[in-house]
Amino acid sequence: MTLLGVAVRNIKRSKLRTSLTLAVVAIATLFFILLRTVVWSWTSASEFSAKDRIATRHKVSFVMMLPKRYAQEIAQIPGVKAVAYANWFGAKNPKDESDFFATIATDPRALLEVYHEIQTTPEQKQAWFENRRGALVGDALAKKEGWKVGDKITLTGSIYPGDWEFFISGIYTTTTTNVDRSTLYFNWDYMNESLSARQKDQVGWILANISDAGASGRISKEIDAKFGERDLQTVTMSEAALNQSFLGMFSAILKAVDLVSIVMILIMGLIVGNTIAMGVRERTNEYGVLRAIGFLPKHIAQFVLGEAAAIGLFGGLIGVVLGYPFVNALVGRALEENMGNMFPQFRVQPGIAVLGLGLAVVLAVFSAVLPARQAASLKVVDALRRVG
Amino acid sequence: MSETTNGKSDIIALNKVGKTFWRGKERLDVLQELDLTMKEGSFEALMGPSGSGKSTLLNLIAGLDVPSSGSLRVAGVELSQMSEGDRAGFRAANIGFVFQTYNLLPVLTALENVELPLLLAKLPAAERRKRAQTALKVVGLEDRMSHYPRQLSGGQEQRVTIARAIVSDPKIIVADEPTGDLDRHAANEILNLLGKLNTEFNKTIVMVTHDPAAAERASICHRLDKGALAL
Ligand SMILES: Nc1ncnc2c1ncn2[C@@H]1O[C@H](COP(=O)(O)OP(=O)(O)OP(=O)(O)O)[C@@H](O)[C@H]1O
Ligand SMILES: [Mg+2]
Repeated sequence: MTLLGVAVRNIKRSKLRTSLTLAVVAIATLFFILLRTVVWSWTSASEFSAKDRIATRHKVSFVMMLPKRYAQEIAQIPGVKAVAYANWFGAKNPKDESDFFATIATDPRALLEVYHEIQTTPEQKQAWFENRRGALVGDALAKKEGWKVGDKITLTGSIYPGDWEFFISGIYTTTTTNVDRSTLYFNWDYMNESLSARQKDQVGWILANISDAGASGRISKEIDAKFGERDLQTVTMSEAALNQSFLGMFSAILKAVDLVSIVMILIMGLIVGNTIAMGVRERTNEYGVLRAIGFLPKHIAQFVLGEAAAIGLFGGLIGVVLGYPFVNALVGRALEENMGNMFPQFRVQPGIAVLGLGLAVVLAVFSAVLPARQAASLKVVDALRRVG
Repeated sequence: MSETTNGKSDIIALNKVGKTFWRGKERLDVLQELDLTMKEGSFEALMGPSGSGKSTLLNLIAGLDVPSSGSLRVAGVELSQMSEGDRAGFRAANIGFVFQTYNLLPVLTALENVELPLLLAKLPAAERRKRAQTALKVVGLEDRMSHYPRQLSGGQEQRVTIARAIVSDPKIIVADEPTGDLDRHAANEILNLLGKLNTEFNKTIVMVTHDPAAAERASICHRLDKGALAL
């Protein structure tokens, strides 16, 4: 038996209270890890972006269109290997309007060249190229919606109103996690032919594959310079920068998530502090006896702080042990499959787990400082006189 | 230490000891000009009405508190001017404590409770354990070492407390109503044990009690009334 051992034994004293407090610490640690992983995954998405891909959009905003011929002009620039154009179509499943997935109109052959990470069978590829209403859907989306190759589906347009009929020509998987597995790609011509003359031949953005990843900066400048004197100017950036600029729109949310993770762990500290304070009050008499037999105020403080540290450590460990499967297997898989472009990798980082555990211990100990000082400063005779 | 006629020296000597408490502006003279000596190896009882200052006096003798006036020598040490830290060391070395209730830590076994004071001494773990086992044997609880306090009767708990009080081999044992919570039978066991510590192990015992039967076990009985010794 050691002094620390005695301190740790104290957490066995009130089983219900200890269990509840451990649960609070475990849950706080688990959610701290979850929220931090959200932030990490989101901000590190750009690291997972393809380095050999650049995107060109309207200089002013995402929502403004470019003439389709810009795509051909970009293809002329030396160092550009392949070019694809795309429009955000924004259709929804009429059966479930709240169910979000991306629908993108594009040039099928060019898309598969530019997104070499997208994999499908040669037969399905061919079928998609040949069917004007064909759609290529991500495996995660197909699984979620229950779509199979050969199915006929109807979606409701929002940006382009009306009912749109598609045939599932193929289902794709990806070789890397940065490409979304929940997108529906379909033939741009199918959309374009239904539009009025004024709306026709406009594209949302243009993607280019370049032969030398190191030249992406130079080529991007070249593209923007080329259109610099035209009516519609462009801004071109790497896929990483594009993701970053998307992130910019969500930076307030990220800050909020960050803040929530901190606030949660602080609340945990307050709850642990309250538990410890309750225990200290109940044990006043025991502290009196301990002091009588020769223990010093510093020993009493160590008992209280040691107990808090044990609560922080055990609770935190439970949080970490549960956090790994919760984040990686449950939340992570769902996010990687359905929002892979935003959360290309959603895994607990050891650093985050260690930080969560460390914070649980440090804050638990910190929250016990006041009760510990209170217990240590008791006068022996007063502590002995106080009953219960 | 002052020598006396029978050759034994005073282990406890109070000289004009006063103790005053303040409750806000109200002054409470709990002990007044108290002179008292006790011989080494004696078994003495303190009796008196509730509120007469028995516990206060015992706490002074045990070094738990300091007097407001007068001087106080216990086991050869002048306690009246000593700092709290030094008194803690004095208590650990010289005094064994038995209180009426709340003596044991409920999360520790009997053996661990007895071992507790030894954690303050720099002893190897095996030695601590051995001494704690010996102390439990003295009180007749060698078969209850791994029991927790809630698994023991009130009398057994007090015997564990007595084992803890003697484990570091102090000269003096102070007991504040050690039988106050016990039935007659258990109380007698505790008193027998205290008597044995006094006669066989030569411990000086100072015991506060309300119980005349308990006081009879002591060789000397002091009566306290309103903070003064009655004759
Ligand atoms: N720390 C203290 N602060 C204020 N007053 C105190 C303090 N300790 C004791 N007193 C007061 O001193 C008086 C004597 O108290 P003490 O506990 O010594 O009595 P006692 O003889 O042991 O009584 P009992 O038989 O009820 O245990 C009481 O009036 C008590 O309220
Ligand atoms: Mg009393």
